[in-house]
Amino acid sequence: MSTAVAMKPAQRLTGFMPLIALAALVAALTIADPDFLTQRSLIAVARTAAPLIVLAAGATLVVLCGGIDLSIAALASLSTVFLALWLPNLGGLATPAVIAVAAAIGAVQGVAHVLLRIPSFIVTLGGMAILSAVALVVSGAGTVRVVDDSPVHWLDLYLGGYVPMSAATALIVVAVIAVVLRVTPLRSWISATGYSESAARLAGTPVDLVKIGAFCVSGACAGLAAVMLVSRQFSGGPTMADNLLLPAVAAIVVGGTAITGGHGSVWRSLAGALVVTLLRVGLPIVGVPSAYEQILYGAIIVVAVALTLDRSKVSIVK
Amino acid sequence: MTSEVVTAPRRQSRRGAAFRDAGPPVALIVIFAIFSALSPQFRSTDNVQNIVDAAAVLAVVTCGITFVLMMGSIDLSAAGVMGACALTVSLLVANNRNDNGFGLLGIAVAVLLGCAFGALSGLALVLLKVPSFMATLGMSAVGLGVATLMFAGVQPNITDTMVKGLAIERFLGFSYLTWIAAVCVLLGWLIQRYTRLGRYAYAIGGAEEVLALSGVKVKPYKVAVFALAGAFYGLGGVMVTSQLGAGLVQAGDGYDFSAITAAVVGGTLLTGGRGGIPHSAVGVLLVMVLTNGLVQVGVSPYWQGGVEGLIVVAAVAAAVIPQRRRNQVVK
Repeated sequence: MSTAVAMKPAQRLTGFMPLIALAALVAALTIADPDFLTQRSLIAVARTAAPLIVLAAGATLVVLCGGIDLSIAALASLSTVFLALWLPNLGGLATPAVIAVAAAIGAVQGVAHVLLRIPSFIVTLGGMAILSAVALVVSGAGTVRVVDDSPVHWLDLYLGGYVPMSAATALIVVAVIAVVLRVTPLRSWISATGYSESAARLAGTPVDLVKIGAFCVSGACAGLAAVMLVSRQFSGGPTMADNLLLPAVAAIVVGGTAITGGHGSVWRSLAGALVVTLLRVGLPIVGVPSAYEQILYGAIIVVAVALTLDRSKVSIVK
Repeated sequence: MTSEVVTAPRRQSRRGAAFRDAGPPVALIVIFAIFSALSPQFRSTDNVQNIVDAAAVLAVVTCGITFVLMMGSIDLSAAGVMGACALTVSLLVANNRNDNGFGLLGIAVAVLLGCAFGALSGLALVLLKVPSFMATLGMSAVGLGVATLMFAGVQPNITDTMVKGLAIERFLGFSYLTWIAAVCVLLGWLIQRYTRLGRYAYAIGGAEEVLALSGVKVKPYKVAVFALAGAFYGLGGVMVTSQLGAGLVQAGDGYDFSAITAAVVGGTLLTGGRGGIPHSAVGVLLVMVLTNGLVQVGVSPYWQGGVEGLIVVAAVAAAVIPQRRRNQVVK
């Protein structure tokens, strides 16, 4: 962390919360089911987590800027449809094409947010509705089957025989984002934008560009997550990724990235995404019906946001 | 680094208010005229009845969300709350899953459950300081989870003739649900106009600091507004159940967003302090006329959500254009 502000004990604890939660979950699941710590189930967890990690990592940048991107899941769904439709004609080029289109859609939302001065959650809420509608129309409201999935098959392979390629890709994405943020001034620009936008503006930070860039990366990550989903399900669907929105938002806030902006990192979201995935996988192991999954997501979103909120900043909460 | 917080003073242009208030009704008439000219089917009496009947549930849900928007907060919990309440009412009135037959009491319990969900969102907002869009997003997930638990894999079909009849039987040409919606709009308008709750909701959106400094305890009113909104969603869930004849987890799918669209199009600002129930009622008709008209002229119904999304972004953008130079920080 770049700031040298002395942290209160409570804050220090919330800083390690995602790791503690992760360790506690793994321990609890191992006790509940000794078979959990086997290679097979861990690989399954890693493969389930991969799209979620990528989605959460991209959206984390937007949250760090102080905004939120509610359109990621709908964008990922639309991207699965595009990918499934384009694979027969474009082949290997379909993957970069889909990611580029998703990035462009993200950037358009960013531009709308910055230029029209509409709150980001409204832009992306509207975007979510528009993207879902486009996905329904383009796909004819049905599943688009992928007959020849060889161009995206590499994501289903295993690195060194053990590590699923999709999970490795997700890790690389997180690492690349983290390294780029660290070695360039971007990290401080994003933090400045998130902590205090007006101060950042006065200090000469290109706030508008930073925000548009964040939305652009968020869109690109949604596109990549869509590629992962298609490689696993051999099809694209207009609502395929829609149920990933809540887990992704939960992953970000459980990781400890403050919804008020500024404080947090993509590594935290990685930990958060693993926690969320373990919860999802773990509930049936402990014998809890999967309907409780939704309730749990709702509860942890509210609690995690409350714990990580930057209280010095919000005098009035709307 | 000091942690001093500088809050920009809230300034709002009051000019053009009359123009803005007249805009939505004029737009409604213009859009209605355009579709009437384009499609003979659209201007038939049957279709107009259809539009009004189809607007009933949305009108009730929008009544609830309008109070929240007037405060400057937002509520994304309608879908979850409606799902939970739909399942509750379908399991409490006569149905094929159990021997219950509580009738009106079942409806009351469902509305109260909605009220409780709303109160929980409100408490998360004022006690935990969780921003309302996050608190209600979480509450929506909780509602859907509760609904799924009650659904338990077997669809409860209702056999209660009274509840089923609400959607089918007509009075003066309109279904009973439409009359219920009309009563809700009237009730909402009276609450907004003549009760402390309504007046304070308006004032919280306009200038919360001033209200708090004047010695008004703002927090209970915020919770009460969310609870009131939840009660409207609960009733909305009951109405959907009556239309479908069964309790479904997805009963409220899309209503949260449609209601925000309707309220915003009607002239209720997301920043709060402007608009109200009459505005929202016009907004509901506007959205329904638009979606019905587009289908009548041959646009795929799948576009409905997309059209709503465009309208929301455009309406919010139009509302902030007068102040965009001043309003530098937008999250």
